[in-house]
Amino acid sequence: MTFELLILAAGAVLVLDTSTSRVVVAYVVVVAIVGHFAAASTLHAPLALAFFSISFFLKAIVAPIGIWTFARRNAAARNLRPAVDLPIRLVVVLALAFGSQYVPHVPGLAPIPMVGTIAYIMLCSFAVLVIQRNLLAQVIGLLVLSAGVTLAAVMSAPQLPEAVELGATFDALVVTFIGLTLVRAFLTHHPLLDIESLRSLRG
Amino acid sequence: MTWLVVISPLLAALITMLFRPLDVRRTARVVFSSAAAAMPLTLIGKVDWLSLLFAGIVSSISLLATIFSTGMYSVDWGRGQALWTRKSIYFVLLAIFWSAMLLVVLATNFGLLWFGIAATTLATAFLVGFSGEAAALEAAWKYLVLCSVGIGLALLGIVLLGRVSLEEGLDPAQALAWGAITQHHVSSAVPLASLATAIMLIGFGTKAGLVPMHAWLPDAHSKAPAPISGLLSGVLVSCSLYAIMRTATVASALGAGDSFRQLLLGFGVASIIVAGALMLVQRDLKRLLAYSTVEHAGIVALALGFGGPLGQFAALFHVVAHAFAKSAAFFTAGLVQSASGTTTLSELKGLWNGGLPGRFLLGALAALGGMPPFALFVSELLLVAAGIAAHQWIALGLGAFGIVLGFAALTRATIAIESGHAPAEPPLAQRFSPPLSRLSIGAAAAALTCAVAFAVVPWTSLGATFAAIARGIGKMP
Repeated sequence: MTFELLILAAGAVLVLDTSTSRVVVAYVVVVAIVGHFAAASTLHAPLALAFFSISFFLKAIVAPIGIWTFARRNAAARNLRPAVDLPIRLVVVLALAFGSQYVPHVPGLAPIPMVGTIAYIMLCSFAVLVIQRNLLAQVIGLLVLSAGVTLAAVMSAPQLPEAVELGATFDALVVTFIGLTLVRAFLTHHPLLDIESLRSLRG
Repeated sequence: MTWLVVISPLLAALITMLFRPLDVRRTARVVFSSAAAAMPLTLIGKVDWLSLLFAGIVSSISLLATIFSTGMYSVDWGRGQALWTRKSIYFVLLAIFWSAMLLVVLATNFGLLWFGIAATTLATAFLVGFSGEAAALEAAWKYLVLCSVGIGLALLGIVLLGRVSLEEGLDPAQALAWGAITQHHVSSAVPLASLATAIMLIGFGTKAGLVPMHAWLPDAHSKAPAPISGLLSGVLVSCSLYAIMRTATVASALGAGDSFRQLLLGFGVASIIVAGALMLVQRDLKRLLAYSTVEHAGIVALALGFGGPLGQFAALFHVVAHAFAKSAAFFTAGLVQSASGTTTLSELKGLWNGGLPGRFLLGALAALGGMPPFALFVSELLLVAAGIAAHQWIALGLGAFGIVLGFAALTRATIAIESGHAPAEPPLAQRFSPPLSRLSIGAAAAALTCAVAFAVVPWTSLGATFAAIARGIGKMP
């Protein structure tokens, strides 16, 4: 229950807050809780444990440090510049929190532990991707989605730790490595790192 | 042995880098890549025919893209400053892309297949943004974000599928293997199986460019270098459709086949109509071709949705025919772009009189429009027959309407760019420095030849082989 409340709070910060640093902290909280459950399922499988270690290192250390570095060097990147005002974001968070409580009623999903929390994490990741305009927030949104998928995997198929952790590791590697590399390349063209500047390709 | 086949393109690229003189390196690249492309032949009898067929498509078109790149980029090269915009890195990324796609089609379970699909993102995001220009980076970013969401959802679907397998008593080592799942005939967890396969379809469908998950595709395919566009449209989309075919097999085995086919019909019809309509308003040749890819992915989804032996045959045949036609179209578009400096349709005139690339482009556009004697004409006829056999009149009618829109868009563009007089400049073919330009033109010609040659397949002994492979899609063995 404590973990679920923590995730509820962290998810709210991800959607509501405008500070890159605080959102990164909220992201780390989500990853740490997911890591807590994932670690338990990998203890008896050395290969899975190795993948989990790499995955956790990438998600909880490399990615936050990378994002913090960008935010520290570029003042414009310290604000996530949400596309909608706070009241609307608050309504979104409430809708996600209440909506996710209905997911256990979807046929076939009820037996999966913490399925409402899993849904809440994934819905929050989509909300971050849609609402926050800063490119760094998009990287965070993808990483939160990856954390949600990892938790879903750990809870629904704990007998497949190798496959789950291999997937989680590679997902984190792709998002962290490519995302931060592209953000770095973007700085020369769009110093604000604003998603609104990526509108030249349309139609 | 399978692993050796998968990594052979990467090994070929790394060995090629050891050669210092540029001429020797180019020759070595063609030789070693050809050897890597022949490697799937060593798997005859060791993997199933569907995997082998797709491995053949991946290797042959990747080889053509490598040859095309070797010829084309010996003259002009990217001017970006980032490490990943360098020429040597380009060929390594291309080889990683090739290897990842081989992994997708040679995997025997959804875990490895997903890993291959995710690995393609690693290489292609940089290849899409290879020029380092703002628009290319924008396309790469959209590609990364949307495809990461897609592969994330695909992973979610796969773990839910794993849960279904485990609940039915499958060994954890076999829980994600489609061979084991289909033989086990599990059916007591239909709701979860339906949900899992639907999420997998959305995930893989994102990578295949099915509407409404297609938003990244026109940007990425139009902004990538021409040979990469050819690979993205011709092969990566085919690999994603291959993943959907494997998912369809499992969905049928788990009792979720009907709902899966309904979803395929919906995605297929939406893709064909939306892409066909948007093709009519395109002003850029490569973007027009990219939307054509969305349309053709929709045609394959529609054929799979029709189901039955005819629908499955049409889907499989269309994937192969489209792979060669679309890569030929992007290769020739690249030649045209290199010669004229633009892909804007209103600025391209008299290409027919401009030399071989313009004439090849005419052929490629005719192929994509589904005109005889190209293989896509045959596969679209098969699609109509499959729709009639399945009594899916509404889906067939809507699909046919979308195909007509796409045909009209391609015909209008073809007439506009091929007719008239070319600007008073030398013919296109003369602008490339021989002999390397011949490599690029040869690669485009080879792809186009395959797009014609496959038209006769249904009437040869290979047609029976195709039919046998197709029967394995969407139903239990």
